[in-house]
Amino acid sequence: MNEWTIAIIKVVFIWSWTLLIATIMTWVERRGSALIQDRLGPNIAGPFGLFQPLADGIKLFTKEEFAPKHAHKILFTLGPVLFAIQAFSAYAVIPFGDKIVINAKEIVLQVADVNIGFLFVLAVGSLAVYGFVVGGWGSNNKYSLLGGLRATAQLLSYEVPLGLAMLAVCMTYGSFSLREISLDQAGTFLGFLPNWGIFKQPLGFLVFIVAAYAEANRVPFDLPEAESELVAGYHTEYGGMRLGLYLFGEYVNLYTLSALMVTIYFGAWHIPYVDMSSYLGPLAYGIVSFLVFFLKCAFFLWLFVWVRWTIPRFRFDQLMGLGWKSLIPLGLLNLFVTAFLIQITV
Amino acid sequence: MGPVKQRIASEDYVTINVGPSHPAMHGTLRAIAYVSGETVLGTDLEIGYLHRGVEKLGENLTYHQFIPITDRLNYCSAIANNVAYEMAVEKLMGVEVPVKAQLIRIIMTELSRIADHIVLVGILGVDLGAFTPFFYLFIQREEIYEIFEWYNGARLTNTFGRIGGVESDLPEDFETRWHELKKGLEKAIDETDKLLTHNRIWMDRTIGVTPISAEDALSWGFTGPCLRACGVKRDLRKDEPYSLYSQFDFDVPTGKHGDVFDRYMIRMIEMQESMKIIDQAFDLYKQLGPNEPLMAKVPKIIKPPEGEVYHAIESPNGELGFYIKSDGTDKPYRIKIRPPCYMIFQAFDELIQGEMISDLIACLSSLNIIAGELDR
Amino acid sequence: MAKPVVQRKYTLGERIYLVEILKGLGLTWKHFIFNFRASLKPGPHTVPTCWQYPWDRREIAPVFRGEHMLSLDEKGREKCIACGMCARVCPAQCITVKKGKVKEGEEEKYAGKFYPASFEIDLLRCIFCGFCEETCPKSAIVLGQGYELAQYEGKECIITKERLINNFKAALDSGNLKPPRKKVPVAGAKEKKSLKSGDKKGSKAQEA
Repeated sequence: MNEWTIAIIKVVFIWSWTLLIATIMTWVERRGSALIQDRLGPNIAGPFGLFQPLADGIKLFTKEEFAPKHAHKILFTLGPVLFAIQAFSAYAVIPFGDKIVINAKEIVLQVADVNIGFLFVLAVGSLAVYGFVVGGWGSNNKYSLLGGLRATAQLLSYEVPLGLAMLAVCMTYGSFSLREISLDQAGTFLGFLPNWGIFKQPLGFLVFIVAAYAEANRVPFDLPEAESELVAGYHTEYGGMRLGLYLFGEYVNLYTLSALMVTIYFGAWHIPYVDMSSYLGPLAYGIVSFLVFFLKCAFFLWLFVWVRWTIPRFRFDQLMGLGWKSLIPLGLLNLFVTAFLIQITV
Repeated sequence: MGPVKQRIASEDYVTINVGPSHPAMHGTLRAIAYVSGETVLGTDLEIGYLHRGVEKLGENLTYHQFIPITDRLNYCSAIANNVAYEMAVEKLMGVEVPVKAQLIRIIMTELSRIADHIVLVGILGVDLGAFTPFFYLFIQREEIYEIFEWYNGARLTNTFGRIGGVESDLPEDFETRWHELKKGLEKAIDETDKLLTHNRIWMDRTIGVTPISAEDALSWGFTGPCLRACGVKRDLRKDEPYSLYSQFDFDVPTGKHGDVFDRYMIRMIEMQESMKIIDQAFDLYKQLGPNEPLMAKVPKIIKPPEGEVYHAIESPNGELGFYIKSDGTDKPYRIKIRPPCYMIFQAFDELIQGEMISDLIACLSSLNIIAGELDR
Repeated sequence: MAKPVVQRKYTLGERIYLVEILKGLGLTWKHFIFNFRASLKPGPHTVPTCWQYPWDRREIAPVFRGEHMLSLDEKGREKCIACGMCARVCPAQCITVKKGKVKEGEEEKYAGKFYPASFEIDLLRCIFCGFCEETCPKSAIVLGQGYELAQYEGKECIITKERLINNFKAALDSGNLKPPRKKVPVAGAKEKKSLKSGDKKGSKAQEA
């Protein structure tokens, strides 16, 4: 197998994998919220209702592609496409396992190990704004427009604390490459703590997770689609697969952010105090590292769902206040403290 | 183009229709909001989407037949409307209702008060993005409806009571049901409290949002929990005690600022106070024998003497009054209903000026505007 | 109209969001675990608060006010005497009764001297208040437990005498017949017995 074949296999794999996660997440969301709220949720289609996302997918695919009369025809279609493209491409630089050895060929479980991984994630992540605002504008609907505008301001504002938190991590590990950061998190520091980002950057993690919720448009930051105020926000006018792209894109984004969180704060595929590669064969190690990584992601995916069904929503000015007045100062403080500590330890 | 639009000097605004079919609208109300960015400059309110001509209907139905129509006023607490109407007619006729019937009425009215407050707190949570307390509370509301169903066979539109009394005795299993319900209610209220009250997001969203001073509230004609939230201790159950309310020991909670948080808290406390009242009323009820009268002696065809009467009770939303003018026939000459919502909704534009769109929704939820009662 | 200015006062725990959010998460987690365990049980009714409607139905109160029925007496005769009280008392005016005189030789079919030649209830108009049931002198018309009343066409919602009687027979077979209405004790009917207690409490009510 040459490099190109491997690369294409990896791309196809991660693309279908994230799509699979996204579809399963719709089931998890509905089932999880139901169980939290003393209900049952979808449980008819398949065992435990697991085929429900399939049914939903078929419904979305086969629905009429309807666009309102006054909508801007091109922008109306472009919005969800832009959103889906950025959602699916952001995962390219995030690892999904360590490495796997097949036929004496070492394959890194990551689509592209670029040395500016961080910047890529941030850059592609901020493209989501276009999806929202183009869709919101193209719908030619006031609710959609307000939703799109809210999304713009919110995503741009929370990019800053997200970036600041990630910058502090970069300084700690001295690299922009997500794979190198992952590898650095093996072993322990101070003798007993796992060498994970969360223990080195607790404040940074706090800033990061709050900003991540805002970036993913999840409660308590789901203002762009706040259903009680803006009907459905930027996707009020959407239906069929155009809506489907928004919904899938949102869950893919969730997965990307969870994976990012796991990569930089929760030791990627490492299990604390255990060096898996010494016990397992090269093939088994690859698979186990993938599974460990995924399980950690699954926890954060569940956390997204869990938090959503527990707390109320912010108001827009409060959201901005939290972003600019609390998170950014905290992020900066974290950055300075990190720099100071690096200075005195090195 | 409404009057508010003319008032707004600036040309820099966007008109947003909130309602009549909007996910956050309680029934079919319409608020045409003029917003600049996220700030609401003013709202034109349109009512009448649920106007069914209830008052006119009353003129063509007998006194008895009007009872089911009152169900459809405030459908969240139908029993309170039934009782208010029946008491007005009884006052007009000079009928004295037997004690047992009064106790049953009190128990049922307080249950419906709890159900109404559950609707408000639950929906307020949903409107502010907290979906889960809604379910915890509504499951208990379902239990309340179960009690109603086992009492007289209907859940929402109860058609409770008759002129001169009530139509049947409490079911035998009421006591066990009530104790079960009480446990569940206490738990649900506690859980809602834990999920919302001290959560900073909730506090930010509600404290200081659309406050109103006591004088303003009084001059707008506020009654009920919305008035009490401003610090005015007015409750018809205490101030002008009707039925047997003077015998019960309960508190009237008051707020301070009249903001969304106070309105929410008042309802949370009132639910507990209502539970206290039901306990006391049921204790009194148990002392009465099974053959105590449930109906006063009223003629089959009700023909009140000529005259007019106004009677108001403290419904879950505030003062619910029925003005009835009789000309001595079996149909009322005129029925006028004084719904609490109508007076409260007038102030909505004033309350919401300068606040944000999100507050518009929160404010509307906290006022508990019920379209059925507002439009009649 | 000046709005009062409200100062927000927070305790430290409230100020930093996380404490209360974590408490809330704990609470929802408890619910989740409880319901998760319950949902693994076999059968349609697993989570105690959730009814899986077509398979799993709640118990309907015996006094439920659902679809009407016209009762027969023990000998299988129709009780209704077509007096029209129900039609008169109905607030929605949804009942139409046509009177018919019982001919000779049909006495085993009808209990009274008159019988309803046709008896129609327009369920689209009916508000299920139960007044017809209450006012019926022979307790012939009864509101049963049927609540699945959706139809494809409007005219199917006008139910005829045949269906009303069939409703009764079905209820009789399944044993879901409504218990007979208890007589409501009226004040002053049994004067001597109720005067004592009634007087005392009555005077209280007057004060109130």
